[in-house]
Amino acid sequence: MNRGSPEMFTGSAEMSVLERQRARLNWQQENLIQHQHFTYFNENEHFDGAFLMGNADQGFGELLMGRAMKPDPGFEDGWNGLDYGNVSEFEMSCALPRTSSCPPAVVADCGKGKEAALSSATGKESFKKRKADKNHIPKVAAEEKSQDKKMKRGAEEDTRITEQNSNSKSTITTANDNNKKGTSDENSKPSEAPKPDYIHVRARRGQATDSHSLAERVRREKISERMKYLQDLVPGCNKITGKAGMLDEIINYVQSLQRQVEFLSMKLAAMNPRLDFETDNYLAKEMFQVCASSILAIGSSAESVNPTHLQFNGFGKGVSSCGIEMGANPPDVALRRTISAPVSIPDTLFVSSCLNQIQPLTWDAELQNLYGMEYQQGRSTSFVSHPFSGFIDASHVKQEM
Amino acid sequence: MAESGSVSSPNTNSNLPRKKRKRDGSGGISRESSRAMWRTETEQRIYSSNLVDALRILRRLDSSAVRDAADKVLAVSAKGRTRWSRAILTGRLSFRLSQINRRHKKAAKPVTAPKKPAARRNLPPLQKKVKTLSRLVPGCRKLSLSNLLEETTDYIAALEMQVKAMALITELLNGDVLGASPHLGLVHS
Repeated sequence: MNRGSPEMFTGSAEMSVLERQRARLNWQQENLIQHQHFTYFNENEHFDGAFLMGNADQGFGELLMGRAMKPDPGFEDGWNGLDYGNVSEFEMSCALPRTSSCPPAVVADCGKGKEAALSSATGKESFKKRKADKNHIPKVAAEEKSQDKKMKRGAEEDTRITEQNSNSKSTITTANDNNKKGTSDENSKPSEAPKPDYIHVRARRGQATDSHSLAERVRREKISERMKYLQDLVPGCNKITGKAGMLDEIINYVQSLQRQVEFLSMKLAAMNPRLDFETDNYLAKEMFQVCASSILAIGSSAESVNPTHLQFNGFGKGVSSCGIEMGANPPDVALRRTISAPVSIPDTLFVSSCLNQIQPLTWDAELQNLYGMEYQQGRSTSFVSHPFSGFIDASHVKQEM
Repeated sequence: MAESGSVSSPNTNSNLPRKKRKRDGSGGISRESSRAMWRTETEQRIYSSNLVDALRILRRLDSSAVRDAADKVLAVSAKGRTRWSRAILTGRLSFRLSQINRRHKKAAKPVTAPKKPAARRNLPPLQKKVKTLSRLVPGCRKLSLSNLLEETTDYIAALEMQVKAMALITELLNGDVLGASPHLGLVHS
C-alpha cells in the first residue's frame, strides 16, 4: 500500500478517474435518487469496479466493494496501492473531465463532497467518517448489508449494472423494461423486507412509470383481482361492475348470511333439548348418508349393544325423537329424563317391540309418532334407571312439538 | 368420533399455514383452495359433528349462545389460517372484558364535547362501504382493502358452509316431528 504524496498522482490520468469515482460516489450516496440516467452508469461501470479493486483502504474500500461485484480486472493493477487517504487531496483539483456524462448536479455535489473530504484531510478514517456523515451512514450501511443479500433502493442503480450476473434478475428486467430510474421502488415496495422474489411489474405502454404509480397499479390490480374472485362467490354479481356496486352486493350478501345463521341458531336453541337425545354418531352419520340407516340414537345409551339394537338403526329418524340419556343435562331438560322409560320392561320385550316397529319403514307423521311413543315405552332398560313417572305423556307431547 | 380428531386447536395449526401462506401473486392459490375447501363434504361433516358436540355441552339455550358456539366451531374448522377465524376464537373473551371496562370508564369520565360531524363527511362513499364491510367480517377492522377482500372471500365461503350445515342439523332434528322430509326417505333392508 503506497502512501505516496499527492503530487505523485497529480499528473496521472488515473487521478482524474479517481476524482470522478469519488465524486460520483459522493453524488450517488448523497442523492440516492432514481432519476439518474441509466446510460450514465453504464459508462462508468467499469470505473467503479476498477476503483474499488484498486483501493486498498479498508473502510471506503469495503463500502465500494460491497457495491460492485464485478470489478474490471483490467484496472486492478493500476489501482493497487492507491491509498484512499490520499484521495481526498486529489479532489482538490477535481475537474470532472467527463462532464458530458455527468449530470450538473454531480458537479455541485462533487464539490460538496470534496470539500467535506478535504476538510478532514487527516486520513482514511476521518474521510470515512466524513463520507459517512448523517446522510450517508444509514444509506451506506444499508447498502452494505443489502448488497450482501439483495438490492436495496439506494444503490440499486449501481448494483443493477454490476450485479447483472447475480441474483438480481427481477430488478434488472424491470429496470430494463422501464427505462427509467423509478423502478427500484416498485421492486422494494411490494416486498417490504428484502426478499428473494420480487413482483415483476411491467409498465405498459402509455402509462406512467414512476415508482409511485407503479406501486399503485400493483395495488389496484390486486384489489381488482380479488373483486373478480368475489364476484364469482357472491351470487348475482355478474351484471354489476364497479367497486361500489360490488361492495354493496358483498355487504348485503354477508349480512344476509349472518342473518341466516342467526335465524338458524335461534331455531336450534329452541329445539336444543332434543339434541341431548342424539348421540354423536347419529347426527354425524345421518349427515353422511342422508338416506342411511343411522345407528345412533340408541348408540350411546346402549353400551351394552345388543345386536338387535343395531337393527334398530333402521329406525333412523324415529330414534331421534326418542329420549336418549346423554351426559350432563341442563336442569331445564330434566323433563327429558322422564323419557327413560319404565325399568320394568324387560329387554326381550323391548327388543321384540323394537323389531316389530322396524318392519314398516314408511314414514308418515303418525307412524313416526306412534313409533316414537312405543319406542319410548319400550326403551326402558337401556337407560340409566330413572323413576318412571307419568311424564311420559309430557315427553310424548314434547316430541310432537 | 373420528371427526373430532381432526379438530385441533388453532394455535398449533397456525404455525403450519404460516409457512404455506404466500404474500404475493401466489395468494391466488390459497384463495382457490380456500373456497374449494369450504365446499367439500368433509368439511361440512367435520363442522356439523363438532357443532353438535358443542351444542350438547352448551349451558345456556338462547340463540346468541348457539350462535356463538356455531361461530366458534366454524373458526376452529378454519384451522386458524385466516384472520377472522383467529379473531373469533380470541375475541369473544376479550370483547366481554373490554365491554365491561368501557362501561366503567364511561361512568367515570364526564362526557366530552361531541366531535364535529364534518370530519365524517369527508369519507368517500367507497370508503364508507369498506368500513362497513370491515365491521362485518370479524377481526378485520384495520385491514387494507386487498387483504380485507381476501378475508371476505374466505369468510363468505365459510358462512355458506355454516348455513348449510346448520340448516341440515335443524332439519334433522325437526324432521322427525314435522314429518319425513323427502330426502330422508329411509329405505332399509
